[in-house]
Amino acid sequence: MNKEPAVTAPGKGTAATYAGAGRDHFAPIVDVRDLEVHFRSRRALRAVQTVKAVDGVSFTIAAGETLGLAGESGSGKSTIARTLVRINRPTAGSVTVAGEDTTRMRRDDLRRYRRRMQMVYQDPYDSLDPRMTVLEAIGEGLSVRGVTRASHRRDTERLLDRVKLPASLVSRYPHQLSGGQRQRVSIARALAVSPEVIICDEAVAALDVSIRAQVLNVLKDIQDDLKVSYLFISHDLSTLRFIADRVAIMYAGRLVEYGTSSQVFGDSRHPYTKALIAAVPTIGGRGGGPRIGLSGEPPDPARLPSGCAFHPRCPLAQDICRADRPALRQKQGGQMAACHMAPDAPAGEASV
Amino acid sequence: MASSTPFLAGADASPVRSGDLVVAVEHVSVSFPSPVGTGEVVRDVSFSINAGERVGLVGESGSGKSLTARAMMRLIPKPGRMSQGRILLDGVELGTGPTADPGTWRGTAMAMITQDPLSSLNPLVRIGVQVTEMLHRHRSLGRREARARAVELLASVGIPDPQRTLSYFPAVLSGGMRQRVALAIAISCNPRLLIADEPTTSLDVTIQAQVLDLLERMTAQHGTGVLLISHDLGVVADFCDRLLVMYGGRIVESGPTFEVIDHPAHPYTRALMASVPSMTGRLPDRLASIPGSPPIGGVWSKGCSFAPRCPIARPVCRDEDPLLVTQDQGDHAAACHATGDTQWRALIDGLGAS
Repeated sequence: MNKEPAVTAPGKGTAATYAGAGRDHFAPIVDVRDLEVHFRSRRALRAVQTVKAVDGVSFTIAAGETLGLAGESGSGKSTIARTLVRINRPTAGSVTVAGEDTTRMRRDDLRRYRRRMQMVYQDPYDSLDPRMTVLEAIGEGLSVRGVTRASHRRDTERLLDRVKLPASLVSRYPHQLSGGQRQRVSIARALAVSPEVIICDEAVAALDVSIRAQVLNVLKDIQDDLKVSYLFISHDLSTLRFIADRVAIMYAGRLVEYGTSSQVFGDSRHPYTKALIAAVPTIGGRGGGPRIGLSGEPPDPARLPSGCAFHPRCPLAQDICRADRPALRQKQGGQMAACHMAPDAPAGEASV
Repeated sequence: MASSTPFLAGADASPVRSGDLVVAVEHVSVSFPSPVGTGEVVRDVSFSINAGERVGLVGESGSGKSLTARAMMRLIPKPGRMSQGRILLDGVELGTGPTADPGTWRGTAMAMITQDPLSSLNPLVRIGVQVTEMLHRHRSLGRREARARAVELLASVGIPDPQRTLSYFPAVLSGGMRQRVALAIAISCNPRLLIADEPTTSLDVTIQAQVLDLLERMTAQHGTGVLLISHDLGVVADFCDRLLVMYGGRIVESGPTFEVIDHPAHPYTRALMASVPSMTGRLPDRLASIPGSPPIGGVWSKGCSFAPRCPIARPVCRDEDPLLVTQDQGDHAAACHATGDTQWRALIDGLGAS
């Protein structure tokens, strides 16, 4: 499998590509730059509040690559997903997919565009109509791609085979399937339009452990065969460590760490990433000691703390953290992180 | 034994000694009327929990773990019923004599928190009323005393502004805060046993760590026994002294946590561990997954219910249901035909070690 594509482009500093600049030497399929998604909340008798759900996020995804996106609830992960498929409109910044700017797309363009980018949700009931059989649900996607009705059955069976389901399931309704089968049907349905990118928003979170492993393996096989890219959103770090080539960690609407899977999980630089990793319960045990790495809760996105949004929970916070918001910069180790306390990479150092 | 019923007077009246038997579940089965199969979704489950002990019940959906907990609380949804067995709380069989009315022990001697606190908290009633309700009813505290105690309780579970929180409705609080409130209510009468059914499943990892730490601290203080139910082997292994692994309505393995984790004696336990990607070390290209899906509750095939998915199954597995038998170490047990056969058993260690 094409592990760590683009990032390991020989001899090229990758800091620039991470930041979204100087992208001439490789063309990512998804290029998100300075994305902002703000919501205005109006409540009776109160001032209008602006919630910065996503606030200046940039990342790229190469063809056949998996970018993992992690962070706690409310950090903006799902807003990014919804903005990518244009359910939400970006407030500022750009989303370029296969060279096309999607931010200004209108109806027909959008319809065409959504065939390139599909989404698989946590609960397959969200995407499968309970009154449609598997054949009808997948057939809908096939029709969009212009497949004739006569070929629906053959193509559906082929897609079911891709997700390792028996062809005999074509006439079943969603309630006649198990959770794992339903989720695989919604993956097959997403594949029906031959997308270039699939966004998996907590796609395996609701599945039993043994079934989760099956679905993760299926997703990997599909990627190996079709070179489809994934934006894999999960709060489960061990799942991301398995599936993702690169990982972005979000906190309060911004990226706080961004790098290859081995950089972020093996040698994290941001104290929030470290705390997240430390909080994952492992079968091997902690060997005693308290579990808590982090006190407090993620901030209310409508009332973010000054400076670094993480400073009230950060064990390393200094005065500068309360005053200045740290920029996402390349750190020693090669990944990008937004932390005043993490030493920057020496200028001119080629990244790992 | 039945003559003294210490829990009826509340834990205040019964000094807790660590190691005392708090609850014993004996041969419990739970059945639902069903046109196919036996309808038995929990089958002949037995275990016990001592004071201060933390026992984990792990299994996938449909394995019967939540219904076991509900049988203990006498809260099996209709038309299901406990078709066999008995549950002893402090030596008294639930449903008999002084315990005939669940109101005498439910929520006080045995309390429960669930995955979604919104399902146990009334969304239309202020937190203060819900926390003090128990104290009024079971501790006969006056209004003011109950309120003061409620503030103490909320503070002890780490709620930042307890005084003000009392006037909130549950919807105002975050998931982590709601779970803290549920925990505060559950421990308000110092229960002998706290059943925690997937208490952290809907929480973020950092909040999960906080809630588990809190659960550990609050129950250790009063010597409360804990039954932690989870599908997440990591959470259970991290928190519990002893593990019970459920599959197909039965306990298929039980023993001290380190024993079960280091030397799993049932192929299901071994495979379950292998199917979770680790956070350290080299990762395999593919995860070791268990083929097929878990059986549907109440419709069991003949023989061992794991046999259809078991990579090392032999003909005997499809004919005879194995008994839960003790392994070489005294308190480690597994229900697997391979147990008695050294060579066959060695295959278990090979599972998932790709």
